[in-house]
Amino acid sequence: MIQAKDVTKSYNGTQVLRGISLDVADGDFTVVLGASGSGKSTLLNVLSGLERADGGSVDYDGIRLNALNDKQLTAFRKREVAFIFQLYYLLPHLSVKNNVKLGAALAQNGDYESILAAVGLSDKANANPSTLSGGEQQRVCIARALAKQPKTLFLDEPTGALDEQTGREILDYIIRLQQERRFTMIMVTHNRNIAETANTVITMNSGRIVGLSRNDAPKSAFDIGW
Amino acid sequence: MVVGIKDGAKLFGIAIVCFCAVFVCTFMLNFYLDVTPLRDTVSEELLPLFEAQLSMAQFCSAITGGVLSLTAAVMLLFYLRLYIDAHSAQLGVLKALGYDRARICLGFWVFGLSAFVGCAAGFCGGWAVMRFIYDSLTIEGMGTIAPHFHAELLFALVLAPSVLFSALACVYPYFVLRRPPLELIRGNEKQPKKEKPLPQSKKDRPFLQEMCLSSLRSKKLLAFFASFSSFCFAAMTQMGLSMEELTNAAMSYMILAIGLVLAAVTAILCVAALLRANRKNIALMKAFGYSLKDCALSVLGGYLPCALVGFAVGTLYQYGLLVLMVNVVFAGVESTPTYSFDVPVFFITLAVFLVSYFLLALSFIYKINKVPVKEIMLEE
Repeated sequence: MIQAKDVTKSYNGTQVLRGISLDVADGDFTVVLGASGSGKSTLLNVLSGLERADGGSVDYDGIRLNALNDKQLTAFRKREVAFIFQLYYLLPHLSVKNNVKLGAALAQNGDYESILAAVGLSDKANANPSTLSGGEQQRVCIARALAKQPKTLFLDEPTGALDEQTGREILDYIIRLQQERRFTMIMVTHNRNIAETANTVITMNSGRIVGLSRNDAPKSAFDIGW
Repeated sequence: MVVGIKDGAKLFGIAIVCFCAVFVCTFMLNFYLDVTPLRDTVSEELLPLFEAQLSMAQFCSAITGGVLSLTAAVMLLFYLRLYIDAHSAQLGVLKALGYDRARICLGFWVFGLSAFVGCAAGFCGGWAVMRFIYDSLTIEGMGTIAPHFHAELLFALVLAPSVLFSALACVYPYFVLRRPPLELIRGNEKQPKKEKPLPQSKKDRPFLQEMCLSSLRSKKLLAFFASFSSFCFAAMTQMGLSMEELTNAAMSYMILAIGLVLAAVTAILCVAALLRANRKNIALMKAFGYSLKDCALSVLGGYLPCALVGFAVGTLYQYGLLVLMVNVVFAGVESTPTYSFDVPVFFITLAVFLVSYFLLALSFIYKINKVPVKEIMLEE
């Protein structure tokens, strides 16, 4: 369970988050919607422990992230969370298999091959990431994140750099794996249609939550508009 | 083409290496040129020592000048490559606008200025200690030898290297910039022509070990610099401390100082380049929860064996050189002290080397602690 209470964050005197409060239940798929500059990526960073809130509190299963020092915060990220970014950030000199091992090694998970199979990349295990298509690279990122066996997966515009068809496929992979493995998932996007696939939708504007809705019948990635 | 102060500062290492090379060559060759004409005036008795001094001057100049010039040239190529990679988009735009490749490359001559600065400073430095060096090299019974200015040395040690380095700085980019403008504009992420699997490892190594090896493989030139740094440290520290009996103390300290400066400058440049090259990887590892120690190990770990090899080669090199000097150069000279491998000095040098490597790793950890995770992950 993630609980944020009155979270504020500023950069160079500009307030980016203005008193955000929210609860995310275990196993929930939450989408944070908002235009560019609405503060959604900053919220993701604060909730995931990539950076600290200036004010308010973020509790993660009872652990107050604001109270952790750098070392403890690193240990928290190692234990609890994983990330998927819009721009992949694969290690260019390592094979696909070794990129996935980046995540697997932290969880001492020797079974990274089954995760590669789950994202359909078994045959590319020894390939150089730069030889893969954008969709395949993002699938490596999914495998890397899931190999870590996180309790919560944070995704920052994971389909933002992909074409529509590939974007749908990637979203389908992510949703399917989330349903199979029941981890908590928080995804930031500006694509309103993607929100239809989530259980919870948070809408942000100018650093504030301006909408919160629950979706009892989430759609599949192939049933939504784009 | 714009070469900023930051780019210029990176060339500091080339200037330092050139300084050391020219500094030694200036007083050694000047001594050689001043003393050679006196051969006829030397008595039979002093002639072997006289010849030995001349051989030593030639020998030291050739070894120091040769090795350090080669290192400076490799450094120059390394920095040119870094500059081209960092400014690949701008250079691509220039090519796309229709600028001739040769014309673009001519602008790179400024990189040769680093060699000029180092060589000129080294030449002046050599002259600053000339009197003192002459006093220590002059043979008893030959009287005082006054240093004379030799214009040909100014040409050979300052002007010619500066021109050569500037030419190298223009020629190398000419070959690198053969790539089509669009590829340059897209930057380093050039697509391989065909799908080429990475070398298959025989065994399934742990991730951090794999990272060490990949970091090493991706920056092979830095492995050379890491080895060179420890080579300089091992060779010149041990030589400086062991040869006090063969020459005077001041000469020993000078060798020691040159070795420490070369080793420190190369090591610092190496670490800075490694940090720059691995910034994104480190940020990613930090975001995923790897500790600072693991991040540092994944980058520096692979270079420790290279540094140890450099240390071993440097130790053998200094031993070989001193044996050669005593047994060959000073072979016919009476009262030449014997030389044997200095075991205590070896262990002291090894201990200082390991402590220095550890301190360097700590400073690397301090630096990577400052790598901002979030900013890098969100950069376009």
